[in-house]
Amino acid sequence: MFDYLANPTRFMRIADRLIKPLGVLATLLLGAGLYYGLLASPADYQQGETVRIMYVHVPSAWLASFAYVGLGLCGLFYVVWRHPLADIALRAIAPVGAMFAFLTLLTGALWGKPMWGAWWVWDARLTSMLILFFFYLGVIALANGFDTPERGSRPAALLALVGMINVPIVKFSVDWWNTLHQPASLIRRDGIAIDPAMLTPLLLMLAGTHCYFAAIIFIRMKALLAERRITSLQLRTAANRPANQTGRR
Amino acid sequence: MNGFFAQVRRDLALGWGGRGDMLVMLGFFLIIIALFPLALGPDPEVLRKIGVPVIWIAAMLASMAGYTRIFAEDVRVGWLDQVAISPLPLALYALAKMVVHWLLSAAPMLVITPIMAAMLYLDLGKLAAMMLALGLGMLALTLLGVMGAALTEGARNGGGLLAVLVLPLAVPILIFGALASQPQDGAVISPHLLLLLAVLTVLLALTPVITSLALAECEAEGGA
Repeated sequence: MFDYLANPTRFMRIADRLIKPLGVLATLLLGAGLYYGLLASPADYQQGETVRIMYVHVPSAWLASFAYVGLGLCGLFYVVWRHPLADIALRAIAPVGAMFAFLTLLTGALWGKPMWGAWWVWDARLTSMLILFFFYLGVIALANGFDTPERGSRPAALLALVGMINVPIVKFSVDWWNTLHQPASLIRRDGIAIDPAMLTPLLLMLAGTHCYFAAIIFIRMKALLAERRITSLQLRTAANRPANQTGRR
Repeated sequence: MNGFFAQVRRDLALGWGGRGDMLVMLGFFLIIIALFPLALGPDPEVLRKIGVPVIWIAAMLASMAGYTRIFAEDVRVGWLDQVAISPLPLALYALAKMVVHWLLSAAPMLVITPIMAAMLYLDLGKLAAMMLALGLGMLALTLLGVMGAALTEGARNGGGLLAVLVLPLAVPILIFGALASQPQDGAVISPHLLLLLAVLTVLLALTPVITSLALAECEAEGGA
């Protein structure tokens, strides 16, 4: 399957066909999720209306970690097989993942102030998420830190790979340490610990954010591939021109 | 292994020749520490409380200044290409760089650390735990720093980029190191020191390989 998708033209043709359905699906799911989350679901008996922050906070946090796993896998593919699409995907994912990590920290701060009485606490979950955000920034900076863009690909891929160490730390920080942040409610051994009335909008938002992520990654990959094609065309015409001029003289 | 020791000897000789850089780093270390009493006021109680973390952070920041140019000269004069075609694996070349850099930058910092501790009114009788933790922590940081130097070699604004990449990775070193430096029961070998050793072991296995993979790119580019 990898062989089949490894051809950029073929990959882009398939991605092209997926962008629109994914976008429509994301709009529908996010719309329904926001309706249920903000209007049609009950307020929490302890947290009141602020519990609705969860419907943005939890999907963002999932996506931030999930996107980093994708980033690390792209890094692995690029380091081992030097596949140009892996590099394109890495560059497409990094800013989007960084945005989700930032959104997680931001909504977390907005939620923490009324619930914990502080915008920020230095507990293991928050700190490891902050470091995940720094890794995203590092990968972006390294990928674009060289005069020839392709020169940054391998360092960025290696850094993305190294940063994978942090993903399980983010996930299990709430189990390994006594954190102020609550432990997992969805994926846990004794079953889901959320009332169905709140679970429905949460799952809708989760599915919607994933569709949004997939659509935006395909769009970004398309743009990056086009950008690369433009650069190589420009280089080719620039290389041809002096030769023609000397020929005319 | 002969090649490894030859590389260590060469870099030690070159590094000792350029020991002005080392003095700049020591000066940086000293200045960061001196800034804290100036900002906080000279109250011994306050300084004693923040002394250990201040020394750790100053050591980390000062060493950031030393990593940037580690591979630049070897790339420029073609030494890296020579190493790449020699039987010496690039990972061992990277390890040699790490050992030498620790000896030439972290070790001198450790030597003047007791003086820094005295400036911050720390109890000099209880420094053993911190000296041990700082020595090991700086070795771990050097492994990361040299890896960062290989990743950012040839980049625009390499220095700032390097610090942004390396410092987040160094967080576990700082956490365990600072805890191991002021053990609750006063024992030199604390659980946190063992955790620091665990981090060091992982880095020792991982960073030379990552460094060599990044260097392969510099070498390919330099040859082209």
